[in-house]
Amino acid sequence: MTVAPPAARRDGAGRPVPPGSWLGWVSSTDHKRIGLLTVGTSLVLLLVFGVFALLMRTQLARPDETFLAAQAYDQLFTLHGSGMIYMVMTPFALGMGVYLVPLQIGAPGIALPRLTLLGYWLYALGALTMLAGFAAPAGAHAGGWFSYPPLADSAYSPGAGTDLWIAGVFVAVTGTILMGWAVLWTVLRRRTRGMTMLRLPVFCWAMIATCLMVIGAFPALLAALTLLAVGRADASVFLHNTWNIGYQHIFWFYGHPVVYVMFFPYLAAVAEVLAVFSGRRFFGYRGTALSLLVFAALSMSVWGHHMFATGQVANDYYSLTSIALLVPAGVEYFGMLGTLLGGRLRATTPMLFALAFLPQFLIGGLTGIMVGTPVIDYHVTDSYFVVAHLHYVLFAGSAFGLFAAVYFWFPKVTGTRLDDRMGRWHFWLLVIGTNLTFLPMFALGYLGMPRRVSTYAPFDGFGALNLLATIGAGFLAAGMAVFVVNVLATLRRCSLGRARPAGDDPWQAHTLEWATTSPPPRLNFPADRPLPPVTSFAPLLDLRRRERSGA
Amino acid sequence: MRQRHVFGTVFTLESAVAGLVFLVVLGLLTWVVVERRTQEASDRTERPRVEAFYVAALAAFAVFLVAWTAWQNSREPRTAVVRPLRVDVTGFQWCWTFAYPQSPAHRQVTGDCHGRSLPTLVVPAGRPVQLRLTSRDVIHSLWVPALRYKMDAFPRHVNTFTLTLDHEGRWRGRCAEFCGQRHYAMDFWIKAVPPERYDRWAHGAAAAV
Amino acid sequence: MRRHLSAAVVAGWGLLNGLLLAVLAVYGESAMVYWLWGSVVLVLQLVALAVLLSSRSGPDQHVRYRVPDRGAGAVLPTAIGLLLVALCFVYGRWLLVVAVPLLAVAAVMLARGTTARER
Repeated sequence: MTVAPPAARRDGAGRPVPPGSWLGWVSSTDHKRIGLLTVGTSLVLLLVFGVFALLMRTQLARPDETFLAAQAYDQLFTLHGSGMIYMVMTPFALGMGVYLVPLQIGAPGIALPRLTLLGYWLYALGALTMLAGFAAPAGAHAGGWFSYPPLADSAYSPGAGTDLWIAGVFVAVTGTILMGWAVLWTVLRRRTRGMTMLRLPVFCWAMIATCLMVIGAFPALLAALTLLAVGRADASVFLHNTWNIGYQHIFWFYGHPVVYVMFFPYLAAVAEVLAVFSGRRFFGYRGTALSLLVFAALSMSVWGHHMFATGQVANDYYSLTSIALLVPAGVEYFGMLGTLLGGRLRATTPMLFALAFLPQFLIGGLTGIMVGTPVIDYHVTDSYFVVAHLHYVLFAGSAFGLFAAVYFWFPKVTGTRLDDRMGRWHFWLLVIGTNLTFLPMFALGYLGMPRRVSTYAPFDGFGALNLLATIGAGFLAAGMAVFVVNVLATLRRCSLGRARPAGDDPWQAHTLEWATTSPPPRLNFPADRPLPPVTSFAPLLDLRRRERSGA
Repeated sequence: MRQRHVFGTVFTLESAVAGLVFLVVLGLLTWVVVERRTQEASDRTERPRVEAFYVAALAAFAVFLVAWTAWQNSREPRTAVVRPLRVDVTGFQWCWTFAYPQSPAHRQVTGDCHGRSLPTLVVPAGRPVQLRLTSRDVIHSLWVPALRYKMDAFPRHVNTFTLTLDHEGRWRGRCAEFCGQRHYAMDFWIKAVPPERYDRWAHGAAAAV
Repeated sequence: MRRHLSAAVVAGWGLLNGLLLAVLAVYGESAMVYWLWGSVVLVLQLVALAVLLSSRSGPDQHVRYRVPDRGAGAVLPTAIGLLLVALCFVYGRWLLVVAVPLLAVAAVMLARGTTARER
């Protein structure tokens, strides 16, 4: 591999900076730095929006609670939902792609690095803008993460908070589209010698499917936000039902694929972790790659299942496509379970998170089929049943994949492992907390508790289950505290030089990022060390096998 | 209460299947975690025949589920076509109005949903009632949890559905679509009374129903 | 085919979208949806075309790479400038007084190739 050095070193424009300086961070074209900035920003925001959730759970712990006023509660649930979806789970997923994809395909950098950097800054500034709504006189936006008009128009939601929300989300999503485009182009057009499409790691296939959805569906959100902005300037727009229902169509055309953007990268991280700690090649590779693409295409066709109760969409079609999703989802479970069934398991911290992902996400998926059935959806939509379902998908599923990824790739990124004992505490607190918080919500929704209510009456009979959910949230908070301490303490040990080096490949992993140093050098692979030949989608596994049979 | 029966059938079946699938996967996982700690890892990367049969089975189940639930959904009771009683329901920030255009006294019920002053949607038990649903401002959603049914109320658009309450009683209804600050309080009662009592009420009898 | 598999993946995915759209047409849906999804299918085919053109003009797998970083210093001012343009919607057009000069500075930095030289 020959790499032309960055141009600036030749033509000399600009000032030289040491790698650690702040200028080196804010204007770096190193995909690893951009990826880290993205992932780090979204982790910080995860904590912020997580605190919002704790405040809401406190308010809901008892009937007729007055801890939060309705107005404050509405702002918190809006920013919790918008924040977690637009500013945490989506950017983290793409940030993982920005960091890992070039390494996994053996490239020294990402395609379009400056555009990727612009994407990060737009995302970060957009997130700040959205949060700045709290400083507006009437407070932040309070219309929910999907902000249906006419409620979100200037007559019913006056105030700068809503405007800031629109501007912030617009800018941030523009940023994520740029990142998605860069990752897609990298994986399609920057592969190293021997890395054919059918030797791409599962994670890279998942990023292809993810980025195709980003390019296909995310512009629809920009269109929906533009429509909302136009409607706020001219309130007569939303006097027409065409635009009210039209907004819902355009919004959900984005709003369903984004769920899979927030799912595939984490699923694929889990797949990599399962294969590595089962000590074997991923089972059913081709079926899984194909099913990811089919899954992604189907996901573009199911948006109307969010609108079953509007009485204005072709319910039968969306039910058909939603239920059809069980086929590609089943194929992915086939691959992951097949990998485990023929494996020799090592119970490391990332593996624990990956193992818990399987049954927990399954609850989200199976209830997804239920809410995809109109007859059931008429009862449970807009109730706590849906809240439970989406949190099983995004928290019990995706967030567990996220933590598996953090524990798995942390030694590659920093050169040292996270503390294992604290990792196990984090894991068990999170498992208990997740199920204690979200399982009761299924029952609450079934019994008739609507979502987005800031309080409920004692005679509704929701008190006991809500209290249980709030106790669960306490476990989640404790688990996250352990995680934060673990990360900060490990990073501090790193910076003091007291950390135990993890080595290049601490887990006996399969993919090319483990063939370089930890952390990788600026151009990813040391010039003095040839890349191992890419003989399959698990080149390092092949290399070890050849060495063993040669020895 | 057709909606409730259809929901019950479909929900029971899907929950049972979902529960079974969950238990099978959980069982497999438990077995794997207990058993596959010491054996050598297998080298097999694919089982195309097993996978093909598995996909076919999944697809067949999906087809069954789509067809069966669509059929359940469209099963209309034949008697519902006889001239239903019409009620015009209007949601507004933050309460409901129920108007009875066919009642001789042009009955109309409304309230402000503060404290215990919830409006009551009065219907005769056993007779089909057609609700014509709209909104005066933002989108609301009429939900009667006990009926297992809800439908959205859009401004400048009318959604219609028919229901029959086959026995007397009183149930809580709610707004399910977030509609602003007092969304949590936008409740109402739906009350099924004997038809003759309903008729007296519709004719303007002062007696509370 | 194998050589252009990357373009085929994108094109095939777009066509799968088109197929699902065709099925939706059987069920019937509002006209806006056809425009929305139809234009997405079109965009995806354009992306596939771009990938195809790129893979026809270069190798499928690479041994030589360029790692461009010229003008990376312009990125942050550009991002702030774009944010200010977006904020015009909230606070009014006067923000352009700040945004336009900032974007001009960014353009100059880009033209001069200003960047932080790492190492």
